[in-house]
Amino acid sequence: METIEGPRALSRERRIEGWYEELFPTVCSYIQKRGGELDNAKELFQEALVIYYEKHAKTGFLPEKVEEAYIMGIIKKLWLRMNSDKKEMTSIQDLELEEPEKPVELQTKKLLMFLEATGRKCMELLQSFYYDGLNMKEMSERHGYGSERSVTVQKYKCLEKVRNEVKQRALGYEDFLS
Amino acid sequence: MRTSLVKIARIDSYLLGDDPSEDALIMQARLALDDDLKTDVNAQKSTHDIIICYGRQKLRQEIQAVEARLFTSAKHRSFRDQIKSIFKF
Repeated sequence: METIEGPRALSRERRIEGWYEELFPTVCSYIQKRGGELDNAKELFQEALVIYYEKHAKTGFLPEKVEEAYIMGIIKKLWLRMNSDKKEMTSIQDLELEEPEKPVELQTKKLLMFLEATGRKCMELLQSFYYDGLNMKEMSERHGYGSERSVTVQKYKCLEKVRNEVKQRALGYEDFLS
Repeated sequence: MRTSLVKIARIDSYLLGDDPSEDALIMQARLALDDDLKTDVNAQKSTHDIIICYGRQKLRQEIQAVEARLFTSAKHRSFRDQIKSIFKF
């Protein structure tokens, strides 16, 4: 599988399908041999894909080894974390996993639903920059803007709109820490 | 850009770590003195977190949709059979 440009080279959907077709059976074998079920494999695989995607989006990271081997490394670490097998942990030298994602607070869920309903276009634009890690040129191409300047201005307009909504709902930074 | 957007851009530059060190220090000093600025910075940080949540949610939905298709569509029967044989059902 091509890895030169990482997770964004193909359409994201096609990339995800490729990962499932090429790697999920191996993940299932690994999990099954250790007493796990299909649901465990599905859960860990989804989590690993999110971790890998976000690492690439945030840092431009591409694995030195084959991409599948890197994702498999994430799976192994997640499996060990799930089962707290401390003996095996010391033999894994791979990437450091961040702390598990905290559950999304109810207030945040409500705000996300509101923004999805009323500001989807803005959220998609903001997601491109702050989550997918696109630069202004890539953003202007993806969202059909004539110039990097015009998409930059729109980005800030959207950010202002969402920030005003956050302020109105008095969502503090501490809400994301609890 | 209008003034409010310039302010948003300045705060973003600070939060994303794009400011040169001296500008970041000036911002930190201003934050200690200006409660309105502090409110805006906190709200903008929360906004970043909301956007990340949104993006992650969308990615998970896409992953789940692909997985559902692989486990239900006729086109991917051999894939399903392979997985079933691993878990012996």
